[in-house]
Amino acid sequence: MIVVLAILGLFAFLIASIWAAATLDAVCRGWIAGGGTVSPAFTPLRTAALWLSQQRLTTEAPDRLNALLSIAGYFALGLVGLALVPIGPDTTLIALPTSVVAWGACESLVVVVVFLHGWSPNAPLALIGAYRYVAIGLPIMLLSMFVLIAAALPAQSLDLRDIVTSQSSVWNVIRQPLGLPLFILLGLSLTLRGPFDYADSADLAGGTSVEASGPDRLGWQIARLVMLTGFSAVAASVFLGGYLGPVLPGPLWLAIKTLAIMTVVIGLSHLLARMPVARMMGLIWIGLLPLSFLDLILAGVLAL
Amino acid sequence: MMTSILFYALSALAIWSGWRVFRVDSMIRATFALMVSFIAVGAIALLLSADYIGVATVFMMAVEMMVMGLFMIMFMMNPAGLNPMQMVHQYRFSIGAGVASFVGLSVAVLTTALPVSPLPPGGETLRDLGTELLGNSMLIFETAGVTLLATMVGAVVLSSASGRFGSGSQGAQPPGLTEGGAPAGRKVDAGSGHSHHGGGH
Amino acid sequence: MSWISRLAARAPVPVFIAQGESAPDALARLALNPAIHVVDSPRAACILLISGRIPSALADCLNRLHDQLPHPRATVLWQSHAMEPFSNAVEVDASDDIANALSATFADLLAGDRPSEADILPDAPPNEWRGIGPHGQGGKGMMGGTPYGRPMAKTDDDIRDGLSLDAYTADFGPFLPMFPAGLALTLTLQGDMIQAVTVAHPPFEGDTAARERLLRLLGLSALALRSLHGQKGDGTFRRLVRLSRARAAIPADLGRLPDGSDVRSRFDAMVTGLQTAPASDTDMTLGDLLVGLEWHEALLVINSLDNATLRGVCARMDAPPDSTNDATHADHDMHAEHMG
Repeated sequence: MIVVLAILGLFAFLIASIWAAATLDAVCRGWIAGGGTVSPAFTPLRTAALWLSQQRLTTEAPDRLNALLSIAGYFALGLVGLALVPIGPDTTLIALPTSVVAWGACESLVVVVVFLHGWSPNAPLALIGAYRYVAIGLPIMLLSMFVLIAAALPAQSLDLRDIVTSQSSVWNVIRQPLGLPLFILLGLSLTLRGPFDYADSADLAGGTSVEASGPDRLGWQIARLVMLTGFSAVAASVFLGGYLGPVLPGPLWLAIKTLAIMTVVIGLSHLLARMPVARMMGLIWIGLLPLSFLDLILAGVLAL
Repeated sequence: MMTSILFYALSALAIWSGWRVFRVDSMIRATFALMVSFIAVGAIALLLSADYIGVATVFMMAVEMMVMGLFMIMFMMNPAGLNPMQMVHQYRFSIGAGVASFVGLSVAVLTTALPVSPLPPGGETLRDLGTELLGNSMLIFETAGVTLLATMVGAVVLSSASGRFGSGSQGAQPPGLTEGGAPAGRKVDAGSGHSHHGGGH
Repeated sequence: MSWISRLAARAPVPVFIAQGESAPDALARLALNPAIHVVDSPRAACILLISGRIPSALADCLNRLHDQLPHPRATVLWQSHAMEPFSNAVEVDASDDIANALSATFADLLAGDRPSEADILPDAPPNEWRGIGPHGQGGKGMMGGTPYGRPMAKTDDDIRDGLSLDAYTADFGPFLPMFPAGLALTLTLQGDMIQAVTVAHPPFEGDTAARERLLRLLGLSALALRSLHGQKGDGTFRRLVRLSRARAAIPADLGRLPDGSDVRSRFDAMVTGLQTAPASDTDMTLGDLLVGLEWHEALLVINSLDNATLRGVCARMDAPPDSTNDATHADHDMHAEHMG
C-alpha cells in the first residue's frame, strides 16, 4: 500500500516538476530576451500538443530501435535517479546500500543514451553532436565521482539515506563548499543545457535532435526534463540535506530543495556562454578536476 | 519466488543479448547488445546481494562499451542502417574457442563446491568485499591507485592543446632570453609533429 | 477537430526560414514576436517561410528542404518571387503583416481547412543500391562502397595529430540557421574537425544578423533575442554578455586576419555596437581560415566576419584539391547533402 502511494506520489511530483521546469525555462528566457513572454505556463503544453499532432519523419535508413531505446532509456534513467532519493528516514523506492554508485551508473548510461540518440538518425550534424557529447560527458563524470565520494565520506556510507542523515547538523553544501557548484556543472551536462550542451547545441542546429520530429521530439524533450528532475533531487539530497527541515513534512522539503536546484540549473543554462569543445576539455582536466581533488582532500581531512 | 523469476528473466536477457552481438549487422548495435548483456549480469549480482559488484559492473561496462563503440565508428564510420556489416570473422577459430571455453567453464562450475547457505540480509557486504580483496595491503593499494590517477591527469595536462609556451600545435618552444633571441633551454626538434602529413594532400 | 489539435493551434507558430537575396529587414526581428517560434531545424517546423529571391542555383536545395518538413505543412512566400513548385504557397507582400499571415496559415492548417502540401521530390534514394559485399554491405570486406550512391567514409590522413580517422565529405547549407544566409560549403570532416573546405555558394550581400548568430553559437539564444531589439546603449545587454563570460569562452587568436583582429576582438566590436571598418582586403581563402578548426570554432570564425569580408574570402577559391587525392572526393553530386 505504502509502495503504491509512493509510486503515485513520485509520478505526481514528476509531472508537476516537468511542467514547472518548462515554465521556468520560458520565464527565464523571456526575462533575458527582454521581451514579454505570453503565458509561459501554457506555451509548453501547447507546443507539446503540436508536436504530438505532427508527423513522425525519419531519415533514410535510420536505426529505429536505438532511437526509441535512447528516448526511453533517458526517461528511465531520470526516473531511477528520482527513485533512489530518500523521502524520509529509511524510505526510498529503490533501497540500495550503494545508491550513490547506482547514481554514478545512471550518469554513465546517460552518455550512452545521448550518443545513441545522435547515432540513430544517420545524419552528420546529429552524429557530430553525439561524438562531442561523449568527449565531454566522460571526463565531467570523473569529476562527479570525486565530488560524490567526498560527500559520502562524512556519512561513511555509499547509501544516500545515510548521506542525508549525516547532514542533520550541517549540510554538505556548507561542509564542502566546492561540492555543489561542481556537481551542478555535471547537471548541466546530464541535461544537455547551456555551457555543457555539446549534444543538442545551436551550432549543430539542434545536434542529436536535429532530425527528430513530432512525437520523437516531444519524447526527447520530456526525457530531458525528467533527467533534470532526477538530478536536482539527487543534488538536493547529497548537498542540501534532502528531506531534513523544520515544521514542514519531509517530502515537501525535498520538493522545495529540488525546485531550488532546478531553478539554479535553468538560470545558469541561459546565462553562461558555451566554449568550443577543445577549450572545455582543457578546462575540465586542468581546472575542474584538480578542484574536485581539492574537494575530496578537504572532505577527507575534515572526516578524520 | 519473485527473486527466482527475476533471476531467470535476467539470465535469459543476458544470453539473448549476448547472442545478438553476433547476429546484428551494425557495430553500434553489437557494442550495446554486449552492454545490455553485462548489465543483466550486474543485475543478477544485485539479486545475489553483491550490491557493489553489481552496480559497479553496470557503471564500468557503460563507460567501457561507450569508448569501444566510439573508437570503432571513428575508424569505420558506417552509418546506422545504411551499410550493413558482417560482424563475424575467423569462423573455425572462433567456433573452437567458443566450444573450449564453454566446456572449461561448465567443468569448473560443476566440479566446484559452491556455498549453499544464503547471505544474511543487511550484512556489511561492502566492508567484507574490501577486506577480502585488499586485506592488509589496503594502504599500498590506495597509494598505487592515487599515483596512477595522478599520472593519468598529468599525461592529459601535458598533451592538452595549450602547451606551456602557447598553443600546443606550435611546439613546446620556450621564448628566447632576449627579444627575438634563440629559445632558452634544451633545443627542441623543430616541427616534429608535422613531418608526416605533407605528401598526402 | 480533437482537443489536442485545438490546444496545438494555440502554440507559437513554428517557422523555418529559408532566406534568399534582398530579404526584408523585418525578417531578423520576426523571432521577437512571441506568437512566432523561429526553429533551427525544418523537422520542427510547420511553416516554411521563403523570404527574398532564391537564386535558381539553390532551387533544388529549397525543394529538398521543403520535403523535410513534417505534415501538416505549408509554405509562405514573403516578398519573394513565384516559383513553380510552390504555386499553392501563401504570398505575402511588403504591405501585409507577416505575423498575422503566418498565424492565419497555421490555424487553417491545423483546423484542416488548408491541405498539407505534398512532397515536391519523389521519396526515393537518389541512386540505386550499389552494395557489392557478400553480406549486403556496401563495399568489399567490412567498409567502403557506395550504397545508394553515397561514398562511405574511409580513413584519411589527419592534419593535426596523425591519427588517421574516417573522413567524411558533405555539403552544408545554404539554409542552415547558423550559416550566413546563402552560404553553402562542401566540407570534409574528421569527427568534428574540418579537413578541407570549398565554397559551393557564396553568402548573399547585405547580411546583418551576424551578432545574433554569434550569440546563439555561444549558447546564449535568449541574449541573442535581446540583441535584436537593437536599442543603442542597452546597458543590461552588455552587462549580461559580460556575465556570461562569452569573451573568455572564445579561444584567443581564433580566426586572426592580417589586420590583427581575431574572433574575440570582432565579437567585442559587435557587442559594443562599434562600427568597425571592413577588414582590409586580404588574400586569405576560407581554407586558410577554417582548415584544422573544429566545427564550433569554424562557425565562430565564419560568423565573426562582416558580410563584405566574408564575401571576399569566399570569392577567392582555394586551389582545387589534388585529383589523385582519393576517388570519393571527385564524385561531387554523390555527396550526402544536408540543408537543415
